[in-house]
Amino acid sequence: MRERVHIDTDILIVGGGTAGCLAAWEARKVGGPKLRITVVDRANIRHSGSLAAGQNALNAYINQGTPEDWVAYVRYDLLGAPVREDILLSVGYELNETVALMEKEGLPIKKDAQGRYLRRGKWNIEVNGRWLKPITAKMAEKAGAQILNWVYVTELIKQDGRCVGAVGFGVRDGRFYVIKARAVLMAAGGAAGIWRSRYEGDAHHRMWYVPFNNGASYAMMKRIGAEMTGFDTRMIPLRIKDTYAPAGTLAIGVNAPMVNALGEVFMLEKEEYVRMGGHTAPTPVRVWACYREIAAGRGPIFMDTTRGDPEKVAGLREQYLDMSPTTVLYWAAHDIDPAREPIEIEADSPFLVGAHAACCGAWTIGITRMTTIPGLFASGEALGQAPSRYISGCWTCGRIAGRHMVQWLEGEGTEVPELDPGLVAQLETRTFAPLERWSKQEFFTNGKPVRGVLPREMEAHMQNVMEDYCGGRIHYFTVSEPYLEIARRRIDRLRRDQLRYLVARDLFELERAWDVINRLDCCQLVIEHISYRKETRYLGFVTRTDYPERNDAEYDCFICSVWHPETDTLVFKKYPYEQIVPGDRTKETI
Amino acid sequence: MPPYVLPDKCDGCKNEADPWCVAVCPGNLFVIDPVTSKALCRDPGECWDCMTCTIFCPRQAIVTQVQYQLAPIPAELIPRLGKRHITWTLIDCKGRIYRLENTILAGGEED
Repeated sequence: MRERVHIDTDILIVGGGTAGCLAAWEARKVGGPKLRITVVDRANIRHSGSLAAGQNALNAYINQGTPEDWVAYVRYDLLGAPVREDILLSVGYELNETVALMEKEGLPIKKDAQGRYLRRGKWNIEVNGRWLKPITAKMAEKAGAQILNWVYVTELIKQDGRCVGAVGFGVRDGRFYVIKARAVLMAAGGAAGIWRSRYEGDAHHRMWYVPFNNGASYAMMKRIGAEMTGFDTRMIPLRIKDTYAPAGTLAIGVNAPMVNALGEVFMLEKEEYVRMGGHTAPTPVRVWACYREIAAGRGPIFMDTTRGDPEKVAGLREQYLDMSPTTVLYWAAHDIDPAREPIEIEADSPFLVGAHAACCGAWTIGITRMTTIPGLFASGEALGQAPSRYISGCWTCGRIAGRHMVQWLEGEGTEVPELDPGLVAQLETRTFAPLERWSKQEFFTNGKPVRGVLPREMEAHMQNVMEDYCGGRIHYFTVSEPYLEIARRRIDRLRRDQLRYLVARDLFELERAWDVINRLDCCQLVIEHISYRKETRYLGFVTRTDYPERNDAEYDCFICSVWHPETDTLVFKKYPYEQIVPGDRTKETI
Repeated sequence: MPPYVLPDKCDGCKNEADPWCVAVCPGNLFVIDPVTSKALCRDPGECWDCMTCTIFCPRQAIVTQVQYQLAPIPAELIPRLGKRHITWTLIDCKGRIYRLENTILAGGEED
């Protein structure tokens, strides 16, 4: 048995990020001084997660119109597909107030000549956001939450049908953490590294989304039987080639048009793209259009910064230093000046997210943020069917979750009885199993385990399967049932009989082992959800060659799955879509 | 753009309980070599290139490079952390030097 740390708390927040830290702050505000709040993070909350390098804009802000107009835009940007308008509205009503709060906490927000927040496009404002993460983390610190840095949560604990805590290991101290809680918030981010990276070796983590977000949110919730939704979407980001830094700074930031190799502003010049919205077409459509141009021999695709606003183009390096210093150094190394030459863009590999332009996450009850497992709440990227919330929306969502958790504690979220020692022992064995296996290995002369698989080997196998058979870039992100069937067989094989060979030589590798365990669960969700939706609703993100049309009669609804451990299968159900904001779903209202 | 540590500059933050690079890396990638007592990134391929380690290093001992498979040498980007700003010195492949500045915290708040 490992050395154990037992913690008893009221609210456990898994993931000290954008949503988690604000959930802690709000829970303290409404729950009073006696409330015990615990935040757990695999790294140091001041610098962990997807904000580690900063961001230069907040992409959810009501600059004009109403929260209803914003929801109409979010819906439009996902081609009018069903979204949880109730959840989005709850965010929209509090977005601007939350941004004002964070400005007061020290976030530098740029201003225009009239002293208003500097707009970038309709729903975005510009910030100096390099320090977004420390400023966000300060909210959890101010809330007086107990902060456990460097603890990797491996499993949620379910007892009598209710989520009552989580277990994990200290990535530095090697201890086994057992945390009992009356309410648990899952806010551990989305998933990178499901599909093959664009690069290998020392650049295999040169990607848009933070590679340390491993899909643990989705995997852990799936494993305790929460209803999961939206894995038939995925985010394919068009980004600056090679550094995969955000390209919105070039598009709406400096008004650079997107052009093909012939210099055509194809989104505005070609009827088939104009019909779909031109240069402000829904995000997936722009990916689809770029790859259509490339397939027709008119690639590469560029953001033509030589045609952008010259003053703004001159400030691009500073803007990128706020979120992607790599890009600035890359330009310097290649002697690229965006004022003199267009910037090439490309699609990065797909990512699973719930707060950017995709819908992955847990299904939640009303606007409570509670999942279908009592006591388990979801926020940030872990919350399903409410896309385009971005940073400011995740802050807001965290606050709303914090409030509802306090309500739960005042009602049904009563004291948790003692944890079942047998279950805890089982979870401990499971948590450290790859380390134990290493100690029983024999080794080849070069140190490779004879009958053990290293996390990186298994990750590569998984990423190859997903790339080749689940709509990877090599197939221009298209997919069909015959490919999916191979993906299913191979991923099931890894999950069902290869994990028993997974070994880890030390705690650092144990993190990687759990990363791949979690990612494999995400693969199952993605394959089965895409397979279930026999239509093409998210053109560009998931383009099915066998079902190229939309089928509203069958699939204009939400699709959820529950995992059944006895059979290792996902059982699907549908929920009807409820339109709250009236009007044509494929049109913006302002 | 993984970080590499210059041995002559790194002192392992000998007076700190937790060396800065070890304390801030979101990937848990920095360790102190028990033999040399100097820091190193234990797996450069795992790095996401956020440069937080480089910004915080009190000795400016950490150099970040673009992976050679993506860009040739030389070029340098050297941050210097102030109270409310980061000042960056950028040296491009032609040897031209630029001085750039980011505001990181709004005025009036404690650092």
